[in-house]
Amino acid sequence: MGEQSLISIRVVSKEYPGVRALSDVSFDVAAGELVAIVGENGAGKSTLMKILSGVVTEYSGEVVLRGAPVRFRSTRDAETAGVSIIHQELNLVEQLSAAANVFLGREMRTTLGLLDQAAMDRRAGELLAQLECHIRPEQPVGELRVGDQQLIEIAKALSLATDILIMDEPTSALTESEVARLFRVIERLRARGVTVLYISHKMDEVFRLADRIVVLRDGRLVDVVAKQETTPQKITHLMVGREIEETDLSRPRAPGAVVLEVEHLWLPWPGHARRWRLEDISFSLRRGEILGVAGLMGAGRTELLECLFGATSETPAGRITLDGREVSLRHPSEACAAGLALVTEDRKRLGLFSHLTVGENITLCTLDQCVRHGLVNRAQEDRRAAESVARLGVKTAGIDTAITSLSGGNQQKTIIGRWLLTEPKVLLLDDPTRGIDVGAKAELYRLMDQLCRSGLGIIVTSSELPELLTLCDRILVLCEGRQTGEFTRAEASEQRIMEAATNRRGAVA
Amino acid sequence: MMATGGGESGGSESAGRESSRGAAAGEMPNGWLRRAARQHSTELGLLVAIAAVVLVTTIASDAYRQKPLQNLHEILRQTSLLGVFALGAAIVIISGGIDLSSGAVIAFSGTICASIMLALAPLDSTGAPDTNHLSAGIYAAAISGTLAVGLLIGTLHAWLITVVGLPPFVATLASLVGLRSLARVFVQEVTTAITPTGKTTQIYIYDQTFSKLGSTWWIPLLIFLALSFLAWVLMSRTVTGRHLYAMGGNEAAARLSGIRTDRLKWLAYCLGAVTSSIAGILYTAEVGTSAPQVQGLGYELNAIAAAVVGGCSLQGGVGLIGGTMLGVLFLRVVIDAVAKIVKVGADDYQGMIVGFLVVLAVAFNELRQTRRGSGKQFFPGALGVLAIGILAILTGTITTIMVGRNAGGVVTLVTLVGLGLIAAAERRAAARRLTGPEA
Repeated sequence: MGEQSLISIRVVSKEYPGVRALSDVSFDVAAGELVAIVGENGAGKSTLMKILSGVVTEYSGEVVLRGAPVRFRSTRDAETAGVSIIHQELNLVEQLSAAANVFLGREMRTTLGLLDQAAMDRRAGELLAQLECHIRPEQPVGELRVGDQQLIEIAKALSLATDILIMDEPTSALTESEVARLFRVIERLRARGVTVLYISHKMDEVFRLADRIVVLRDGRLVDVVAKQETTPQKITHLMVGREIEETDLSRPRAPGAVVLEVEHLWLPWPGHARRWRLEDISFSLRRGEILGVAGLMGAGRTELLECLFGATSETPAGRITLDGREVSLRHPSEACAAGLALVTEDRKRLGLFSHLTVGENITLCTLDQCVRHGLVNRAQEDRRAAESVARLGVKTAGIDTAITSLSGGNQQKTIIGRWLLTEPKVLLLDDPTRGIDVGAKAELYRLMDQLCRSGLGIIVTSSELPELLTLCDRILVLCEGRQTGEFTRAEASEQRIMEAATNRRGAVA
Repeated sequence: MMATGGGESGGSESAGRESSRGAAAGEMPNGWLRRAARQHSTELGLLVAIAAVVLVTTIASDAYRQKPLQNLHEILRQTSLLGVFALGAAIVIISGGIDLSSGAVIAFSGTICASIMLALAPLDSTGAPDTNHLSAGIYAAAISGTLAVGLLIGTLHAWLITVVGLPPFVATLASLVGLRSLARVFVQEVTTAITPTGKTTQIYIYDQTFSKLGSTWWIPLLIFLALSFLAWVLMSRTVTGRHLYAMGGNEAAARLSGIRTDRLKWLAYCLGAVTSSIAGILYTAEVGTSAPQVQGLGYELNAIAAAVVGGCSLQGGVGLIGGTMLGVLFLRVVIDAVAKIVKVGADDYQGMIVGFLVVLAVAFNELRQTRRGSGKQFFPGALGVLAIGILAILTGTITTIMVGRNAGGVVTLVTLVGLGLIAAAERRAAARRLTGPEA
């Protein structure tokens, strides 16, 4: 089989300190094929693709390309060999024009050695037109929608004469029409003989596009199956490998009195064409209720929570009433004091203190409660931390362990523990299960349910609709900063939420 | 230092095994000792390095053998003077910032202190201020006035950084150039206004008691130890200290945890400026002169170097007061050793030593983080070839100056060949990795 296959991955393993991201993964890809690579978060999909595209350069095992073993030392190496990757987080210089981004690092020159702007604009325009992307090549990339930005990355790959294109969850930020356009582009690329490796965890996409499906779980290859021979249910089962128990989540909760009321919340967006990050948002939250906030990437979910927490750089307009009292929070410290807690979306960047221990991470917000005569009482601090660890079931060697040695799920529990110590009235959770494995997810769901039943009001955002549908009593839907729907548990369905989430006011072409 | 680095990585492995065996292993004295050694590897390494440098100096020069006590006092005094404001620099660095203004603040504070003394001094028969005998009240006024000015400077920095939004580098760089210049103008204005002899570029304070403040060895030492203790309590035992570490490690997360990062920055920059002001008073007392054109020139880098050598990370969030104290001591011991062995002015070599040690300390930290066998190349491509040439020229020049022309030539050649061989080996290893294991 090795002779005909375009790419052959042979016993590839990759270890990060303390984590085995990939172990002995081997499979082949034939020329012109579209192979979907599926798996839960942390299954090793992205790591594998990073090895293929020269982003990750240290690994064991072998990659064989067109029959010859290769070892890329940089993405440049990979691009020269015809392999390009489109990352989930796009790699564009927002200040530069579309054309400049397409040719970044390989700029066209005139005979004098100066930049040949005209030629680059012309060529970029041709490439973009092939991709149904009708934008001016000289337009700054920062002004474009995510869908168009993605096509610029694809145009860049095409300009490199790429014949192997890797796409890492390309639809996570796209509207329905953009997804349709992307699929048309993929079909056209395949007609030209481009081999595509498509990372996703969305079954409908995978079954629509793929020839074969590679399933990864916990860094291991579980199976490689042809699309015709399987079903979405089977694939999901292979991905998860175990059933998630949902029994105690389905028990109905009985929400109490209103604890948080938001009326006509507007958040300005200076210097942006849309002018408002959030437009006229109104909702309320009861004690013992979980309110979900759904929306695509860039819909304003994070901004909404940050607004409530006083963490935005601009001052929002509108009325926020907490426990019957109108509040005006201008700094997270005021929000803390008022009884709000925010577990941020980007755990590593906005939540963790990687130099501090597990215990220090937990007590950080409430350290002043462990003070005697102006000094921190270590014994008391340790006791509080240990209590939190025990209460939330954080799996750690001890409270003196480095926080970075914990798994994502346990880090998340640590941060939730930090905030629970502040005894909040309302807990804001911004995509709390992102990058967390399935087992830990189930534990977090149970924890949220339990906290909710003890009288806490919870607002949770998520990029996974099924998650919101299982967890929430009500779901608020945002689209481009506007509130486009609100559903009770009984009314909500994936279909209805998606419709509301893509219900844009006139397409911005 | 290399040896402790190796020991450290071994230590972390065994600590990993320990935790897997459970809590019982942690109670063993051996485990406790090992953990302490791992946590304080920088400090232990510095202690060893300090002992080694002192030993070498004692063997190579007879100065330490002939006048041990006098040399000890001098080193301790110099260490304390530098240490006072290195503490401030360390706190700013741990909090995630940088303070480049220490040297200028030293000069400016000296000027303020001397000016207040001059202005309040009693007049002699000729109508000139007599600074030979100053009262306790004058001291109190001069010192508290100077410290207040330090507080104002720190506050200005904090405002520029947190409200105006300047990077700390820019805000304190402006003070670095601005304050020294202001101090020079200030000295001229003050002397013109107060002394009958008119405009001068320095202010002299003749009081003997004041001079003792900087020149008696145990006074600066006592001040340094007291400030170190306060800084240690602040950083290790208070909520504010924990928040400073947290902010240095992850400012965005600290803010989102409800920490008032703007207030913490104010505190850090004020501590940076006030400790420099204290040092400014001591340096002015030491020589009995405020001479802003030369006083404290370049000292900010010595302070930053001491903190970095002592284990503070310029990325913020990491560093210990104890480490910083040892870093200062190490720096002074090395500067003194070169002066004793080469028998030339210590000040002339100070810059070179500081530069060399900073590069070494930071590179050493970098090395500790990159894993062994990761194939890091130190001399890749054309830049590597050029670097080898530059290092050879540099070592050759230094040897030529210190020893002689022949030795310089030999050292140049040896460096060239030695580093060339390393570079060649690196290239071979890289090529082997590229072709894969079978080739």
